[in-house]
Amino acid sequence: MSRNLRLENLTKRYGTLTAVDQVNLEIEEGEFICFLGPSGCGKTTVLRMITGFETVTEGKIFFDGKAINHLIPKKREFGIVFQSYALFPNMTVEENIAFGLKMRKVNKQAIAQRVDQMLDLVGLRDWRRLFPAQLSGGQQQRIALVRALAPNPQVLLLDEPLSALDAKIRVRLRAEIKRLQQELKKTMIYVTHDQEEALSIADRVVVMEKGQFRQVGKPIDIYKCPNSDFVADFVGTSNFFKGLRTEDRVQTEQWEFAVAQTGSSFREKVVLAIRPEKIEVFRPGEPTHHLVLSNLIPGRIDVVTFLGAAVRLVVNIDGEEVISDVIEKAFEQRGFKQGDEILLYFPPESFLVYPEEGAA
Amino acid sequence: MNRPEMDRSHPVSSFFSSLAFSPDRFITGVASAFFLAVLVFFLLYPVVDICRLSFLKEGALTFENYVAYFSSPRIFRSFTNSIYISLLTMIITTVTAFFFAYGLTRTTMPGKGVFYSISTFPLIAPTIIQALALILLFGRNGLITRYLLGTNWNIYGATGIIVGECLYCFPNALFILYTTLSAVDTRLDEAAQSLGASALKTFWKVTLPSAKYGIASAAALTFNLTITDFGIPVVIGGNYSVLATEIVSQVFGLQRFDLGATISVILLGPSIGAFVLNYYLTRKSYALISGQARPFLQPSRPLKKWGFTIYCGLICLCILLVFATVFLGSFVKTWPYDFSLTLKHFDFPSLGAHAPLWTSFWISALPEGAFRTMIAYKYAPIWTSLLVAIVVAIAGASLTLLAGYIIEKKKPKGEQILYTLSVLPAAIPGVVMGLGYVLAFNKPYFFIYGTIWIIIINIVICNFTLGVLTSIANLKQIDKSIEEAAVSLGSGPVSTFTKVIFPLSRVAFLSTATFFFMRAMTTISAVIFLISATIKLAAIEIIFLDVDGRTASANAMCTVVVAIVIGALLVMRLATGRSGLAGMVTSR
Repeated sequence: MSRNLRLENLTKRYGTLTAVDQVNLEIEEGEFICFLGPSGCGKTTVLRMITGFETVTEGKIFFDGKAINHLIPKKREFGIVFQSYALFPNMTVEENIAFGLKMRKVNKQAIAQRVDQMLDLVGLRDWRRLFPAQLSGGQQQRIALVRALAPNPQVLLLDEPLSALDAKIRVRLRAEIKRLQQELKKTMIYVTHDQEEALSIADRVVVMEKGQFRQVGKPIDIYKCPNSDFVADFVGTSNFFKGLRTEDRVQTEQWEFAVAQTGSSFREKVVLAIRPEKIEVFRPGEPTHHLVLSNLIPGRIDVVTFLGAAVRLVVNIDGEEVISDVIEKAFEQRGFKQGDEILLYFPPESFLVYPEEGAA
Repeated sequence: MNRPEMDRSHPVSSFFSSLAFSPDRFITGVASAFFLAVLVFFLLYPVVDICRLSFLKEGALTFENYVAYFSSPRIFRSFTNSIYISLLTMIITTVTAFFFAYGLTRTTMPGKGVFYSISTFPLIAPTIIQALALILLFGRNGLITRYLLGTNWNIYGATGIIVGECLYCFPNALFILYTTLSAVDTRLDEAAQSLGASALKTFWKVTLPSAKYGIASAAALTFNLTITDFGIPVVIGGNYSVLATEIVSQVFGLQRFDLGATISVILLGPSIGAFVLNYYLTRKSYALISGQARPFLQPSRPLKKWGFTIYCGLICLCILLVFATVFLGSFVKTWPYDFSLTLKHFDFPSLGAHAPLWTSFWISALPEGAFRTMIAYKYAPIWTSLLVAIVVAIAGASLTLLAGYIIEKKKPKGEQILYTLSVLPAAIPGVVMGLGYVLAFNKPYFFIYGTIWIIIINIVICNFTLGVLTSIANLKQIDKSIEEAAVSLGSGPVSTFTKVIFPLSRVAFLSTATFFFMRAMTTISAVIFLISATIKLAAIEIIFLDVDGRTASANAMCTVVVAIVIGALLVMRLATGRSGLAGMVTSR
């Protein structure tokens, strides 16, 4: 049997507040799992229960088939990387990496070897005699990463490891962590509130909200088929419309959209979500006869924001703001600018339809 | 939902789980039990004993002692005297220290570093030094009163006590006000002025209100320090009795332990009140501190700049004058008539003390004669003080670091009780603690009574507060994840402390050790009850020499004490590369 990590009805309550609410998950050996959610959603609490720094209120954590709830952190032999690096400021880079090995009474020669190996892994051999304060943030986090890896932990837990770094270094280090994970085939559990980070790095993403797992799946599935309007909103950007669905029509306050996800004949309260890049933009007079006319709506470009590869248009349709992303090349060719009167097209198959929360 | 195993795991089995019995929890439990026991036994028990003695007569509850105290005008005077002196000292010190702090933080006057350093001097000497200097200058044979002015007026009594206490309390009040004023955002002042407020109006409407908690806290601390002080009033007070001196004279002079205990309880009231107020206000004032405070200052106008330079210079001159006077007084033949230099005052009168190791060492090392007697016997109190100070420094710094660590990082059950007990010692006047120790521990079966160990324990406990607060303040700055990182890498509770926490607390440890050393060398009020015929301490000898009329020798002893403290500070500075005083006094 492989060394799986299993969470079973894991629950954490602080008094009357439920921080983590009966979550279940099976993590395969060598898998890279990302917990993604807004701050306060309980993702760090789940991680801390796995590390053993937080006690479990209810439920169990299994590792390798055995319940580990009551093992003290030291006994679990999981490596941890902290947001604040948590390098020992009184020790050199070398001593930091060797610390875990010394605690496990590894012999000196083996320690020296392992430290070299670890330094090579992140290309920081020349920095070994320096103190953490003499390194940049990115270098410190690299050292923290290999310090946690040095004792060869069963699982590596990373608690928002890149949040304290600048954007550029964050992206580079993200790729490096991914590379290390693939090289070492180590089970890694990574907590972040940055959806881009989660989607780019993980094998599977767990989207959390209010102590619950809202969706667990591959990054692409999470992005393409969010299973709730919360996920659609939190992961990536979406436009939302509330309305009533009858079969393949959704009646909102101002418009009636055709949708591909057909419902019953009963007027059902729903939320429509559509990604900005799915919305097509036409100039008046351009051929639109092949389109579903009910989903073609006139509007005016209010704001143009340059995002790099894409250009984001904020379009005003009857007082409501809709975000539409156009790739930069198309934007330039067609010369859209602020104040232009345009037509937005919402393809029926691009609408995701969710039952409105709280509705019966 | 299927939850088959859950109910078994909670809550009974988790109590018996390995987590509950982890080595970490075990050690935390043992350590907190140890500290609780020590503080209850050496702090609460003596105080409770005092209360008991004051309220009980032959086993029955009585207010007889209190009636006796309040109905006897001669001794009741000590209460009103104490309040009067403490209030006046409080007002004078707070106001002078406020403007000193204002000069240091809000003007661009020159020499700030020098002024600041000089203002800390009173901390390194026994409080008596202020009184000794005032007597040399303004006493019956004072240089200024008798010699220069030829008047019969002298400073003994209330005036002397107030001036002495002001000098002694000045640095303590200054630290609080300095921290407050340097933390308050100066942009507020600039904003007010940009809105058209005059400089004076800005000061009244913006600067002063924003520092109000700091001011009140400094005032409360000054009140507490003054009302509990024993050294200054005993030397310069003359017939003017205050609570602290009245306790000692009731006990030593009249053997009235019950009245001594009663006055102690009466002294506890205002003293604890002022302490609690100071503690509460300090919290409030720190809560106001914004991370936005900007240290940049516009150049002050010349009048302001030089005005404050002169003002701060004058105060520093007074402080320096105190030290210079006492130093000089210990080296001249007959103050103030014959200023030829001599070392004879350092040949202290035979005090009958001996310090076993010290005495036997010098007896074997030196040939018999006057010099051997002087070193082996007459210098014994100094040696005892030094030994006590070293042990107190090491033990006090270690214990308070550990106690702070337990309170701040481990948060055991009853953490609040442990914290309260750790902070309490500063509220209890030294004289009260001393008398409490006599009452509680002067029993045949209590074997360490009458040895230096009871003195060491007393000094450590009396100064526990500042050590623990320094330790906690330092530990707060160590990120929680550093400890978790160590644990996750396989470190146990002991190696986490020795390999990570302790090295990161080194500076705080050394400054706490310095503080304990200074206190042990200079403290008087509590230990005056605990010395014996053979075990004497240098700081207390200053009083006895002075009371004996050997003022010059008292000056000499004071000089020796100050020299030892300065020596220790220098060693500390060389060892750590920073001032031994940094980082502790402000946290009071």
